[in-house]
Amino acid sequence: MAINFKTLGAAAVASFTLAGVASADVCDTPSKLGDLGRFDGEVITIAGSMEGKDEEMLTNTVSCFEKATGAVVKYSGSRDFAALIVADLRSNNAPNIAIFPQPGLAGDMAKEGHLVPLGQASADWMAANYGAGQSWVDLGTYADADGNKNFYGFAFKMDLKSLVWYSPEQFEDNGYEIPSTMEELIALSDQMVADGNTPWCIGVESGNATGWTATDWMEDLMLRTTSPENYDRWVSNDLPFNSPEVLNAMEVYGQFSRNDDYVAGGASSVATTFFGDAPKGLFSSPASCMMHRQASFIPAFFPKKGEEVANGEADFFYFPPYASIDLGNPVLGAGTLWTMTKDSPATRAFFEYMKEASAHEAWMSQGTFLTAHKGADLNAYATPALRKQGEILSNATTFRFDASDLMPGAIGAGAFWSEMTAFANGQDAKTTADNIQAAWDAIK
Amino acid sequence: MVARSLRHVVLALIVFIWVVPFVALVTTSLRSETASKTSGFWTAFTPTELGHRFSTHEKGAAEKLTVMTGNIFERLNKDDPSFPVTGEVNSILFKGRVPDPENPDKTKLIRKLVPAGEVMDVRGGDFVFQENGDFTWTFPEETAPKPKKLDAFIDQDPVFGSDAYVEVLFDNKNVPNALISSFIVTIPATIIPITIAAFAAYAFAWMSFPGRDWLFVIVVSLMVVPTQLAFLPVLQGFSGIASWATQLNQWLTDCEVNDTCQVASKSFAGLWITHTAFGLPLAIYLLRNYIVGLPKELLQSARIDGANHLQIFTKLIVPLSVPALASFSIFQFLWVWNDLIVALYIGPNNAEDLVFPIRLQKQLGTFKDQLHLLNASAVISMIVPVIVFLSMQRYFIRGLLAGSVKGG
Repeated sequence: MAINFKTLGAAAVASFTLAGVASADVCDTPSKLGDLGRFDGEVITIAGSMEGKDEEMLTNTVSCFEKATGAVVKYSGSRDFAALIVADLRSNNAPNIAIFPQPGLAGDMAKEGHLVPLGQASADWMAANYGAGQSWVDLGTYADADGNKNFYGFAFKMDLKSLVWYSPEQFEDNGYEIPSTMEELIALSDQMVADGNTPWCIGVESGNATGWTATDWMEDLMLRTTSPENYDRWVSNDLPFNSPEVLNAMEVYGQFSRNDDYVAGGASSVATTFFGDAPKGLFSSPASCMMHRQASFIPAFFPKKGEEVANGEADFFYFPPYASIDLGNPVLGAGTLWTMTKDSPATRAFFEYMKEASAHEAWMSQGTFLTAHKGADLNAYATPALRKQGEILSNATTFRFDASDLMPGAIGAGAFWSEMTAFANGQDAKTTADNIQAAWDAIK
Repeated sequence: MVARSLRHVVLALIVFIWVVPFVALVTTSLRSETASKTSGFWTAFTPTELGHRFSTHEKGAAEKLTVMTGNIFERLNKDDPSFPVTGEVNSILFKGRVPDPENPDKTKLIRKLVPAGEVMDVRGGDFVFQENGDFTWTFPEETAPKPKKLDAFIDQDPVFGSDAYVEVLFDNKNVPNALISSFIVTIPATIIPITIAAFAAYAFAWMSFPGRDWLFVIVVSLMVVPTQLAFLPVLQGFSGIASWATQLNQWLTDCEVNDTCQVASKSFAGLWITHTAFGLPLAIYLLRNYIVGLPKELLQSARIDGANHLQIFTKLIVPLSVPALASFSIFQFLWVWNDLIVALYIGPNNAEDLVFPIRLQKQLGTFKDQLHLLNASAVISMIVPVIVFLSMQRYFIRGLLAGSVKGG
């Protein structure tokens, strides 16, 4: 009896969902979908960390695959993905596909032998068809249990991090100009302080991932204060954490985040402000800050869930480089990695589907999705803002991945996060860097 | 006398501490999203000053004119009629650059709160507003002004609404589904352990068999095994059973793997088994201590009358143990109902089978900010345990004393 009620409930909910989505058919993309074969009734399970709006968009996108092949895709998203997937993989409960938000963990799982290689053909395809293709291939290539390097992680859905969000209306009211160099950005921040405004909203609290926002700041500033080669050496720890280059970037970050005049609520509030609440200061009444540096996904956390960007209440500019240090236009980004954790013909077809421009366009049309797929039609982007981000991506002279994602899990999702939080709480730069380096030495 | 009133004060204090979060939860769930985000729940009952942004008119809506009139409340309430902004407009925050008197080449940003009735310069026109929200915007010559957003500070009258409840219960928030899933998990996960435990407790109390005391010590010592420790082996076990069942299913029905005959290793049944296994030691311990205290003479006379063990159990022990059974049911029900971590690791993970605590956690979701929805769902999830507790609470105190006071 209870089961029957449940089915009824599910049906009722499903009808609501349909009513919500029916407005636009996301599968109707500029590029046509190729033949993927038929897999009627076959179930593909996907596990990931996307929830809420992202989950909705993911479900809409995979529904195109379901329509084309007859397969059934079941997605389960949880904020505790990192913990759950490890338990699932180790207990033979692997889903077909696991979406890792961080390459570090994917690498660990590959080493334990839980991932299925996608094959050289896929790697070659990605190198040829993604912008900066080889760097995406490298991001998804890990050593297996025997130490052989294989291509496991298919990058799909990228984020652009080097953005500063602001409210055009506030800039207009106060008579501020968009800065095009770091020097101008700092001068503008000082001007805001002189005017009695607060320039920045910064929040690094994020549950058991607290500190990642600060690592993004660090990485963006590394790219603006030292060469990309040094950045790569830093990621592999050939350049130690307590070297002068890294310490310098941390000090520059400190000039922003540990300056009571610069940060809304004072420097002490940085560690306790939820990263998703921080940008709300741009829109509060009266506005508690003027600028917010955060990745392309952040509009989803704005009070109207991103509508602000469409109606002109919010806009962004490129986090500018120093005019005095010649490093071009560096851009920091990240991407989720889709890995095969349980082989099946339908799952292989799904990875073929992700190579189709149509799959990228289906998600592009729904928002907050950036892609490096060269074949995807830029007109498919849902908004001019997303297009503008796509252009920042293509104007970049240097593109680097989120360093904390590339570092080993114990650092990139551990000591780096926690020590940057300690830094926000007043620990000095030298101690912070020494502690992270000590943690790294300990796992070598 | 003094001791007694002190006791009352302490009791009142404890009740107060426990009631405040509940009142906060219910109040917040009945307020508008903006109000609950910008002010504390205790401000909900009296007029409170809140900042609101309004735009003077729609983009492109203004024709050439010299005087524009409007009402701040109308502008604010055009989108969100369920929680109307009402009250009195105290002031508007004016911001703008004016020539700096001390430094002729530079401009200076001034900000001030302009009260009702005072003229301020907005986009070259004179802007005046009244406490009731009416404003007039006068321009020296005919213009088509661009809309302007202004911050108004309004003494907000208390306003409540059940929108959040409607949204979570009827607008695809999966809360009704989660309620049903939680019942599917909780009811068997309460009944199964208590049934097994009652039989076991009777055996431990009144049947003599070799090794009884040692066995009891082992059962009691199992109480200290934390559930979290066992997730991996338990999951491995379930996945082994599931793949075996899949093969059997395939052999019996001739279907293909990956098709419909795939048996999921994460299921409701897995949750029942896990909750049963980890609930049993405490249940056996509690019930055994209660049952052992029942009058020996009663059981002996039943024996003399020719009753066997099963008859004694069903006719005498169960009716006499209702307080202990009821109090353990409450324990187990509350524990399973509120359980998040076991359901997360072991329970089904497809969207329509998630239990309430996972659903609540997901509502925090990628967007930690839908506080009003979260609160409404939390209130709904609290109602069930409250009903269970109230309907069984008269047994609860007696049951709590089970084992500690001989004869119950």
